Order: sequence, then structure tokens, then C-alpha cells
Amino acid sequence: MDAGIEQHLAEGRHARAFDLVVPAYKDRVFRLAWSILKDRAAAEDATQETLVRVWKALPGFDGRAALGTWIYAITRNTCLMELRRRRPTVSFDDPDSTEAQHAAANIATGPAGDPERDNLLRLVETLPQNQQEAVRLFYLEDRSYDAVAEQLGMPLGTVKNLLHRARKRLMELARPDEVKAA
Amino acid sequence: MNDPTLIGPCADYEHDLVELHDGALPPERARAVHLHVDHCERCRDWMQAFAALDARLVVDLPQPRLPADFDVRLHERLAALTRPVVRSDQSGTLEREHDALLAALRRGARRNALLGAIGWATAMACALIMARNLIREASGTLATVAGSTESLMMFGVVGVAVAIAGWALWAVRAGTPLPGLAR
Repeated sequence: MDAGIEQHLAEGRHARAFDLVVPAYKDRVFRLAWSILKDRAAAEDATQETLVRVWKALPGFDGRAALGTWIYAITRNTCLMELRRRRPTVSFDDPDSTEAQHAAANIATGPAGDPERDNLLRLVETLPQNQQEAVRLFYLEDRSYDAVAEQLGMPLGTVKNLLHRARKRLMELARPDEVKAA
Repeated sequence: MNDPTLIGPCADYEHDLVELHDGALPPERARAVHLHVDHCERCRDWMQAFAALDARLVVDLPQPRLPADFDVRLHERLAALTRPVVRSDQSGTLEREHDALLAALRRGARRNALLGAIGWATAMACALIMARNLIREASGTLATVAGSTESLMMFGVVGVAVAIAGWALWAVRAGTPLPGLAR
């Protein structure tokens, strides 16, 4: 798919290239945005913003980086800007804060009335931000280390470490009584 | 399975057990780890607990999807970006007045440049006629220096007149103000 897009870009057919970029990348951009922003509506907005930026910048794409790497970098920057915009209102203690509402909305996207599931999602929320992103993306991307590394722009070893530490921490948190008994 | 941390020699297998479960371990290493797990109850338990957590994450983590109308909304937004800006009535009137004023100023500048060019050409022509008369007065002296003073003088006068006319024409076309005349 990327070869076709790059062919169009090389021949200056930017609109045609963009028409191929959208179906090829929109879902992956959305999953990356969701893993960072933890909110479906915000992730959708970020996906649209990312693709608009790609559309504007495509004529200047010089092919020094892979197309996917370039698009994911734009996605991460778009999400970071959104997080910075939210920052003044971030408070984990305040139930009315934007972050708390996003977390609640995130938990509410699944089937209702499953306390075990809600508990697990709350535990994921307690992980450091980079571990949360890696875990969410890993399970969205069919458990592919390579996809997570490419989308987060991290070396493969770093991603493996993040996922290992995150899931080990979740094992520990998910069984507090048994850990205490040991 | 009580403690998520493997201890002793089993600690070295922790990363391998995770990658074995994720299917990311190279085949050679996977065989060695399988051999260890077959004989180590602690690692077997650890791997089972890990697999249980993994299965829960697969099922419980949200799998959000883009809405079906995403493409439509994206293309609407892109179309809005490419659409020419339509001026509102009030700002359009102001812009039109501004454009008309600029055009009038440009016309005035062109007229001034033309008048200046004509003035300069007339002045230079008068100067040349005076010079011609002066030279004619001194023709007796010049005749001793050059063979045909009259023809030499005529060529000089015509050359200077053509140069002045060319310069004036260039100044008018370029809209360059001539000396002494404001734009």
C-alpha cells in the first residue's frame, strides 16, 4: 500500500496519494490517538486533525522517513498538544475533572455491570502514562510488538520492557490479597 | 501463584516466559524455555497467571472504532479548507473602497510621471536649441578643427534628442517619478 502511495507522491499526485493514505492509516491513527488520549471522541478529533495536517504537509513529504513513521509522529504531536491543552484541568482526585470524566467514559464503553472488568480498567489507569499507552496499543494492534514500536516511535526492546513491567504490575495489583498472604 | 516476581534461577526466565506467551520468542530459545517450564512448577504457575491476565486484557480493554461517517466529515472539513473565502457584506464594501482608492492613486501617479516626462523633454529640447545656436556662432572656430562642423553638430543634436525621448518614455512606462515632480 505504501509503495503505491509513494509512487503517487513521487509523481506529484498528492490528492491521489492522500486518497490512499486515509483508508490505509485512519484506523491505526485512531487507535494510537485513543491509546494516548483514552477518550473516543477526543481520539476521533485527533485523528481528523492528524489527517488534515497530513493533507496539508503531504506535498512537502520528502521520503527521508517511512510514511507510517511520519504519520505516527504527526499523530503523537497532535495528541500531545491536546494533552497540553487539557493539563490545567487535570486532577485525578476531582471527580468532575476532565481527566476523571475521560477515564469514566473510557470504562463506560464496555458492557455495563462487570465489576471485575471495571476493576481491571481502573488498575490500568494507575500505570505510568507510557505503560498505559503501550498496553492499550498492544491489545488494539493484535498483540504486535512491532506495531506498538512503530506507532509509539520507540525501539522494540523498550516496548517489550514497558509491556513486561506493565503486565507484571497488573498481576501484582490484581491479586493484592494473595500477595499479602504470601 | 502468589507473587508475580520469579526468584532464583527462574528470574532469568521471566522475560522469556512473557515473550513465549506472546509468540515473540525465537524458536531456539522457545525450545529451551519449554524444557525449563516442563520441569518447573513455579514457572508453570507464573505463566498460567500471566496467560489469565493477558486473556482478560484481550477481552476487557475497550476496542473503539471510528464512526461510519468519519470519512464524510473529514472530506467536508478538507473541502471547507479549499473553498475560497467569501467576504461578508460590510467587509466587502470596505475592501472595495480601499481597492478603488488605490487604483485612483496609481492613475494619479501615472499622470504625474507623464507630465514630468513632457516637461523634461521640452526643457531639454530648448537647451539643445540654445546650444545649437551657440555652436553655430562658434562655427568659424570649429571649421578650422573639423571638416564639416554643421553635419557633426546635427548628428550630435539628433542623438541627444533620441536619448532624452527614450529615457522619458521609459520613465513613463515604469511609473518612475522624474526629478522635481512628486509621484
